[in-house]
Amino acid sequence: MTRLRPPVVVTIGALALAFVGAAGAVSNGLAVSVDRTGISTALGHKFVFRSTIVNQSTSPVSGLIAHLNVLSLRDGVYVDPEDWSSHRTHYLAPIPAGASVTLTWKLQAVNAGSFAIYVAVLPQRGAARPPITGPTVHVSIARRKTLNSGGTLPLVLGVPALLGALSFGVRVRRRTD
Amino acid sequence: MVEAELTTPRRSWTIVGEWELRDLWLGGRGLLLTLAFSVLVSMLTYLTATNRALNFLEQRESVNLTLQVAIAVGALLALVAAADTVSGERERGTLETLLLAPIPRLQLTLGKLGAAFSLSVAAFAITIPYVWFLGRGVGIVGAALASGAFVGMLLAVFLASLGTLVSVFAASNRVSLSVSLFLLLALFAPTQFPSGAQQGWLGEFLLRANPLTAGEHYVGKIVVDGHAWSQDVLWLASPIVAAALFALLVAVAGARFMHLSRGSSR
Repeated sequence: MTRLRPPVVVTIGALALAFVGAAGAVSNGLAVSVDRTGISTALGHKFVFRSTIVNQSTSPVSGLIAHLNVLSLRDGVYVDPEDWSSHRTHYLAPIPAGASVTLTWKLQAVNAGSFAIYVAVLPQRGAARPPITGPTVHVSIARRKTLNSGGTLPLVLGVPALLGALSFGVRVRRRTD
Repeated sequence: MVEAELTTPRRSWTIVGEWELRDLWLGGRGLLLTLAFSVLVSMLTYLTATNRALNFLEQRESVNLTLQVAIAVGALLALVAAADTVSGERERGTLETLLLAPIPRLQLTLGKLGAAFSLSVAAFAITIPYVWFLGRGVGIVGAALASGAFVGMLLAVFLASLGTLVSVFAASNRVSLSVSLFLLLALFAPTQFPSGAQQGWLGEFLLRANPLTAGEHYVGKIVVDGHAWSQDVLWLASPIVAAALFALLVAVAGARFMHLSRGSSR
């Protein structure tokens, strides 16, 4: 979801974000910030965060791409960002001078553990300069057993056993008849 | 004084249906097929509940996965049983006796279709405890079972009619089963398309036009997304049309083209 904000709100928003420590790098008059830097959730749950790209320069900017990345902060945990979010790239509309764009990123916690999420903004023309990145959002995902696996055994063994016994009974009865 | 006993004559299709049901269930074939079905659903439920890689699934998604497999395999059972109805009798040399019985061919077809359909009903009944187990606690058991039963029965009528239709025209049982299974695979093919191919107007049209994909999509919307029954009701158009159309086609084909040998005028 993309939302354009007028310049006055942007200034207040940028100041507020600077106070809570969620403002990111500033480069070429662009700043990327996030609405929170820490998220705690459980495995399988969906969560949302927002990032704001502010054009602090005096001229409009266009042709920007915002991209979301996910990585594990612990070695040995495989992360496929595609599993976490199906919409990780946004092609932004031109941002007027002093205005901002807010993006909403929807994710699902696919692995348990400690993860980092960040948003990078880079020019669409592919200029060879580092992308502007927002602050790291630290995501802690608690392991969660969604189902009582032990409780399945009576069911998954019982139903086939019952049908097997019924089938055997019918076969025996046919033979005796 | 003579007391006259008034009894309502039974319709022929119920008599044929009873023969077929006895043959299917007391003959053991139906029980073996449902036993295999229960083993499949048990394995799926166990994997869903215990496998670490699948454990991130929400309970709604677990219910949906099990329900969709149950609907699809239940309909497959009906198709397999239906594909044997006429060509099987023809191959075993029992069709002549059946055709000599004073039963209209339409009623004969309906009775056989009903027996094939009973496999889907049994398969769905077997699925109920699994869905209850996976869905308890999140309040979706009722909606999942009701939508699954409705869509599952529509698809079962469609596939059982399709199987019977093929069986009426097939020269042998092998041809009937091969053609029916090939058609089923073709219907399931869109579910294997990459997600990109399922988007756009053509992708959505194909999903909506295919009774299997449309029916399963509708169930998924109710179970996973918690939609109301009326919200995605247009997705039910192709399953309803397919069930009605193929039931009509098989009634006509059964009444007019059920002969001792394929292509014969006898």
